[in-house]
Formats: sequence, C-alpha cells, structure tokens
Amino acid sequence: MRAFWPIYKRELFGFFVTPLAWVLIVVFLVVQGMHFFLLVDHFALELDVASDESPLSAFFGNTVLFYLVLFLLVPPMTMRLFAEERRSGTIESLMTAPVSSPAVVLAKYAAVMTTYVAMWLPTVLYLVILGRTGGVDRRQAASAYLGVLLVGAGYLALGLCASALTRSQFLAMIWTALVLLVLFTLGVGEFVTREGTLMHDVCAHVSVWGHMNDFASGIVDSRRLVFYGTMIAVPLYVATRAVDAWRWG
Amino acid sequence: MITVSHLTKRYGAHLAVDDVSFGVARGDILGFLGPNGAGKSTTLRILAGFLGPTSGKVAIAGHDVVMSSFEARRSIGYMPESVPLYPEMRVVEYLRFRAELKRVPRARRRAYVDDAMRKAGVVDVAHKRIGHLSKGYRQRVGLADAIVARPPIVILDEPTAGLDPNQIRETRQLVRDLGRDHTVVLSTHILSEVEACATRVLVIHQGKLVAEGPTERIRAAGGPSAVELRVRGEPAVAKTVLEGVEGVGEVTLLNGSGDLARLKAGLAKELGADDRTRAIERCVAALVAAGLGVREVHADGGSLEDVFASLTRDAAGGGGRS
Repeated sequence: MRAFWPIYKRELFGFFVTPLAWVLIVVFLVVQGMHFFLLVDHFALELDVASDESPLSAFFGNTVLFYLVLFLLVPPMTMRLFAEERRSGTIESLMTAPVSSPAVVLAKYAAVMTTYVAMWLPTVLYLVILGRTGGVDRRQAASAYLGVLLVGAGYLALGLCASALTRSQFLAMIWTALVLLVLFTLGVGEFVTREGTLMHDVCAHVSVWGHMNDFASGIVDSRRLVFYGTMIAVPLYVATRAVDAWRWG
Repeated sequence: MITVSHLTKRYGAHLAVDDVSFGVARGDILGFLGPNGAGKSTTLRILAGFLGPTSGKVAIAGHDVVMSSFEARRSIGYMPESVPLYPEMRVVEYLRFRAELKRVPRARRRAYVDDAMRKAGVVDVAHKRIGHLSKGYRQRVGLADAIVARPPIVILDEPTAGLDPNQIRETRQLVRDLGRDHTVVLSTHILSEVEACATRVLVIHQGKLVAEGPTERIRAAGGPSAVELRVRGEPAVAKTVLEGVEGVGEVTLLNGSGDLARLKAGLAKELGADDRTRAIERCVAALVAAGLGVREVHADGGSLEDVFASLTRDAAGGGGRS
C-alpha cells in the first residue's frame, strides 16, 4: 500500500494539469449556480411554502438537474483512469514497479473522489447565502452532502471499473454513461410501475432520485448506506481483479 | 541473478515463447537477439513481472516472479519498448515520482534522482515537460527511470530503437557503463548492437532459443560468408587466382562471356568475421596483382538470418549451446 501516495499525487496532478478538469469544474459550477438561482428565485416568489420544503432539499433532491450534470461529469472524469494508461503503455512502467493492484485501484479512486469533493466544495457557499437570509438546518445540510458524496462515490466507482475493463477511453465513457442512465431509468420506474409489485420495489430501491430526496430531507436510511457501499465495493473489487488479469492476457 | 527454466507463454493458440531456459550471472550484459516478433519483448515483460508465464519458472535475484512478484519487481529497473512516459510531467517530477513508487527512502530520493539524471544525461532537460522532448531524450529519461532506484538488474527492451546514429552510439556507451554496476539484459534485432554492448548473447527465433553463448561466438557467426566479384579478364585465370587466396574455399564461375566474368568465392567457415572480411581484401589484391580488373565487389551474408542459419547449424552439429 506504500504505492498509494505517489500514485494518488500523480493522478491529481495529471488531472488538474489538463484543461479537461477545469472545463468540467466550470461547467459544473455554472450549471449548479443557475440551478440554485432558479430555486431561490422560485421559493422567494412563492407565498405559500410547505413546511418540509426548502431551497436546500429542492436543490439536492427535487429537481433532475442534479443528476443530469453527474451523467455528463462522471464519465469524462473516470474514462482516462486506466484506459489512458493502457493505450499509452504507461501501465507497463506502472505495474512493473513494486506496486500492488489494490494500491493502484484505490489510489486512482481516491484521486478522482478528491476531485469530485473539490468540485462540490464551492457549493457550500450556497448554504452561507441561505444562512444570511433565513435558517439553514445544519444536520439536514450534512445529510444532503452525505447523499451527494455517496451517489458520487458509487458513480465514480462504476466509471473506474469501466475504465479498467476497456482499452479505449471513448468506450469507457460510453459504458459509464450507459450504466448510469440504466440505473437512473430504473429509478424512474418507481413512478410508472404499480405500487405493491416486485418491479416497483426494485425500482424504488435503486432510485437515485428517491435516495437523494431522502438525504436532502435529512433522512439517513441504512438501506441506502448498504446500497451505496455495495455500489462502491463491487466495482472496485472487479477493477482490482481486472488489473491482476492483465498479467495473464 | 536471473534463472529462467522452461518458460512458455501462450496467447490463445499463438505460442510466443516456447520452452526457453537460460541464466544470467551477476555483472553480465546479456543481449537478447532476434528478429521482430521472435518473442523478445514477451520474455522481457515476463522477467519484468508485467506478464505472467503460461508455464515454467522465472527467478529474479532469487525471487519467483509469480510467487513473490513484489520482491522480484523491487530488484529490477525496466524500460519498456515504446518508453511510455507521462507527457504532462516534467523530467525531474517524473523521476521523483518513479523513485517514490520504487520505494527509495525520502532522504535519499533527491540524490538518487540527480545521480540517475547525470548518468542518463538528462540534467539539461530536467525542468522540461516530457511531452516536449525529442525521441532521444525520452529514451534517456526511460533509462534514467530504469536505474533511478539503483536496482541490481536493469532490463532494457530495444533501447536504441528509433534513435539516430549519434544517439545510438551514446546509448551503447551508457549501456556499457551500466554494466559496471548492474546486471543488464537488453533486447535488439540488430546484430552489431549486441557486438557493441553485450558480453553474452541469446538468440531467439520464433519463440525458441536457437543459440546462447559469449559475444565472440556470435561475432564469429556474423560477417560475410562469400564474396561476389565482377572481373575484367580471362574467367579461368580469375578463378585460378581466387582459389589461390588464403581463406577462400570453393570458387564458382557464375557466368563468363568474352573477357568479363562473375565469380563467387566462398569464405572459409572456420575463420572469424574479421578474418573473412580480410580475405575479401586479399582476393581483390590478388586479382589486381594478376593484372585483372576488379569492377564490382559484393560481400554476401552477414545478415541476422545468416547468423541464425549458421548458429542453428552449429547447434544441430552438437557444439551449439555452451
């Protein structure tokens, strides 16, 4: 695991030295800023606001904008992790150094998670803005950010896994986007299937929309924690095995 | 330092390396010679721990590459064939990263990196981005990376591929220098390269080891095998003159019309490459002394294929692998 630190540092460096990272962050913040502005504007004009509705819960849960931007962000963030190294051949120098496969996978994952957190960090300012004009429930905000962290962690793990399974960055991006879209669509199924059927239960269980609504309202459900824990652990494990498997190709 | 026994690597139905065994002793510079696609890179990748063998055993400094891959990899510095580097990093950043990855303790990292840069001759580009470097400098950065952690064994896959003649000469000198402190394994498809650097040679062809031995033996197998001459004068006289030259075997008259003749003189196989080349000089001198006009001289043989043919013939003769 001693290889974790140098690889982590290099990954972060390699990401932020490219224009891609800055473009992604700018696009993300512009979209989230507009999103926030529209919500605050909407709530400011509303005369009769339900007690359980706030700009905060709406920002993180009630609109589709939050996920759409993740679909655009996560695939380009993760596509290069392994696919790029395999295409350029640098994977050969990396894997012939005394490094273990879990260290490589975890270092790359930690680097991309750090980037993700850095992207969200400026949105904490929105809380400050809200706090100036009204009350912000800190525990609710923490719960919402936990949701953001978990959803992102799951998506990024899937993206990393896709990158480890293909040699082409483009394919890695398409695969990641496809899997995220299928997951999201399944979640939407919650609203179109009849209540009480197995399909409805499955859809409700994997619904990112539903999960984020819960988190944004301050509900931390252990089922959600297990779901995202699995969504992180399984792809990372598969990626580790894929890295090992290259030796025997 | 390296022991390889019955190494086999299969890609599906394709047999890339077929039952290869050899050993490398401390201080050797081992040249891996073979045409493209012979299995050189595959073998080196297995030694470096990048690929796993299908069967057979490989031990690096006493560590099995499969069972204790980690320790084996700590003992090597490896430069892959295409010299893959991260183009966005500066040379010194890259080498510091590699030194840390290869577990050079923090306190010694700077000294090791400086030393490797000096040996590989990249000090003047230390703060340039790798993506902006020429092919020759990238190759040297790859070499610096291979030696940065001061491993006992250095493995270089085609270290002179794509370089210009000056850079090739410098790289060969560097490899000879490396041989003083490290055991070096390098691969090439150029015969003169192993002659220039290696102390021992392995010849690999279609995944099989066809010959192994000290460089002198391979050198003897190289060189011209015959000489073809176009001569002005009486064909029969020319033939008699050539037959009298020391080091010449059988002489055949390829065609002769009027006072022009094409002759082929075989050179004695028991001579070394240098002696056979000298025999060509003597042929020309003898013809000129006999009053014949020499119009063209072509040396035959000396290509890698000829060496393979010669070596495989030797191996079949019994005295092959020494």
